[in-house]
Amino acid sequence: MTKSYGENLLARIWIVIGAVSVRVKIMGIVIIGTLMLSVTLALQMRASVTRLMNQQLESRGISITRDLAARATDEILVNDFYDLRQLLVETQANNPDVIYAFVLDPNGNILAHTFGEGFPVGLASANWVEPTQHHHTLLFDSGQGLVWDIAVPIFNGRVGTARIGLSEAAIAKNIFILTSQVLLTTIFVLVIGLIAAAFLVYLVSRPITELVAATRAVAQGDFTPRVRRWADDEIGELADAFNAMTSELARSDEIRREREVLRRQLLEGVIAAQEDERRRISRELHDSTAQNLTSLMVGLKNMDTICDNAQVRVQAQDLRAITGQVLEDVHNIAFQLRPTVLDDLGLPAAIERLVHEWQKRCQISVDSVVHLGGKRLPENVETALYRIIQEALTNVSRHAHARSVSVLVERRTNEVVAVVEDNGKGLDPADLAVDRLGVAGMRERAELLSGKMTIESAPGSGTSLFIQIPIPYTEGENA
Amino acid sequence: MTTRILLADDHAVLRAGLHLLLENQPGLEVVGEASSGLEALDLALKLSPDLILLDLSMPGLGGLDALPALRKSVPSARVLILTMHDDPQYLRQALKQGASGYVLKKAADQELLSAVRAVLRGDVYIQPSMTRVLLDDMLMDTPVAVGDTWETLSEREQTVLKLVVLGYTGAEIGEQLNLSIKTVDTYRMRGLEKLGLSSRAALVRFALKKGLISAE
Repeated sequence: MTKSYGENLLARIWIVIGAVSVRVKIMGIVIIGTLMLSVTLALQMRASVTRLMNQQLESRGISITRDLAARATDEILVNDFYDLRQLLVETQANNPDVIYAFVLDPNGNILAHTFGEGFPVGLASANWVEPTQHHHTLLFDSGQGLVWDIAVPIFNGRVGTARIGLSEAAIAKNIFILTSQVLLTTIFVLVIGLIAAAFLVYLVSRPITELVAATRAVAQGDFTPRVRRWADDEIGELADAFNAMTSELARSDEIRREREVLRRQLLEGVIAAQEDERRRISRELHDSTAQNLTSLMVGLKNMDTICDNAQVRVQAQDLRAITGQVLEDVHNIAFQLRPTVLDDLGLPAAIERLVHEWQKRCQISVDSVVHLGGKRLPENVETALYRIIQEALTNVSRHAHARSVSVLVERRTNEVVAVVEDNGKGLDPADLAVDRLGVAGMRERAELLSGKMTIESAPGSGTSLFIQIPIPYTEGENA
Repeated sequence: MTTRILLADDHAVLRAGLHLLLENQPGLEVVGEASSGLEALDLALKLSPDLILLDLSMPGLGGLDALPALRKSVPSARVLILTMHDDPQYLRQALKQGASGYVLKKAADQELLSAVRAVLRGDVYIQPSMTRVLLDDMLMDTPVAVGDTWETLSEREQTVLKLVVLGYTGAEIGEQLNLSIKTVDTYRMRGLEKLGLSSRAALVRFALKKGLISAE
């Protein structure tokens, strides 16, 4: 539990660190590094300097006290308390660290002191030195900083005890000044460090920013940008690799484009050949086979009229019926292949015929408006639109469950727009998968003519198929 | 008095069959056979027949192109179209150019003779399976009670419908008017409902009639 919490925290920290920019990261490293270094240094220095200075203070205090004790012996022995006090005052005056000095007799009575008015209660008994001891030190808090109280026996304690108090205030002040200096230096170094870091960030981020911009351009399909190699470091290598990649991409893109052009040309050729072939066969069926069958039918009718033999007449009637059926079939096949009306009369007549047949076959009502201003469209546009609408109607009959369909072909100034719209159940991705080739074929046909196809559908509210194909603006066409 | 008939069809065997079929009928006589529109025009002028049996697709000058000239130069001759084409547009054009009848070849054995008789009577004979086209045309031309319903539409509805008429996709309309596709759809539905129209095609027809888009 604890571990996972820890991991959680780590992950959260990582997220926060990861989210900031490289600039902030590098600046952060500089700031944190500099601050940690200087704070550690300051703390350590403070500690060792304090210790050293305190030692010095103590030993100085001891020597001052011992000196005082030695010089005070005579005064005490001759009971010259005035001189004794002079001595104390002098000691204090000569050593700024000394905040007080006094002398006790062996019974602990105060013989002389440097306190102006009253002697602080309890101070006299606070520190005690054995007569045999060299000295005794006591550190206490006076309420105005730490004070070292040093006691030294006078004349082996037989005459009394000399005591002085040394203040640490001076040391504290010195250390404060020292620390301030360190901190000031830190700030100065930090500023320099930040300037250096900013420069570093600039150095690092400039090529990266450039790389990002170039990558975006490549993603958009523009393979022209090349990035500069700013330095011989890893980022420079990245720039080289990027440039190599881009030229490779550009090359393969060009190959892809060439192939696409070739594929289109091939497809165009195949489609054109297919339409030609269909047109030829349809025409042949329509003009020759159907005519022959009609002749056959008329001939059989004549036979039926002229002949007196009842058996022959019945036979002729049967054959006539069969011929009629074959004629109908041939007619349908020809229409399915490519209606002659498309070539002879143009798209409006062909669409009308298509819609007519489809309506009859599917029992779905179709409303069609073909509005081309009485002018023929380019042949390939006519064919493409016819085939697309044919395919669209086939799809509607297969999947849409529509009750009615609108077919619309309209000419605008320099494009022709076709819409096939049904009120069926809307596009089902599953159906689209089945008719993938059909839909792709329609789109391909439109795109081969620089047109585009859009399908709009919402469940329950039908499907609309839009085709836009640009057509050359013909002169003298002032509507 | 016999009825003089001119046959115009590029298919010789069929012509022969038709010749026989017609001549077998009392009172019908085939006076000439032409295999192209030009030849038919030529013979018609020369023979001035009572009836011309005209195929629509012939090499050179086709039947549809020869028809106006035939009607103009030999107004007394009635023209009966005998063709493979069951496209509504051919029927319309033939009738517009002055044909008195239209029979499909696939029904030649059964309906041709009735058609010939009807046309000679002065009636018009149209292949029964194709009369539906003419009825539809007529119904479609009947002016719907449009009134001024258009004016009852809100400005937004009018704008949306105009763009729908021009064949823009829902997405394109939405983009142009800064609306969502759903909103566009709602405007469109409401507009169509107010106009009493059921489909995009009906709307376009309405717009053409109303002159909302130019009929070029």
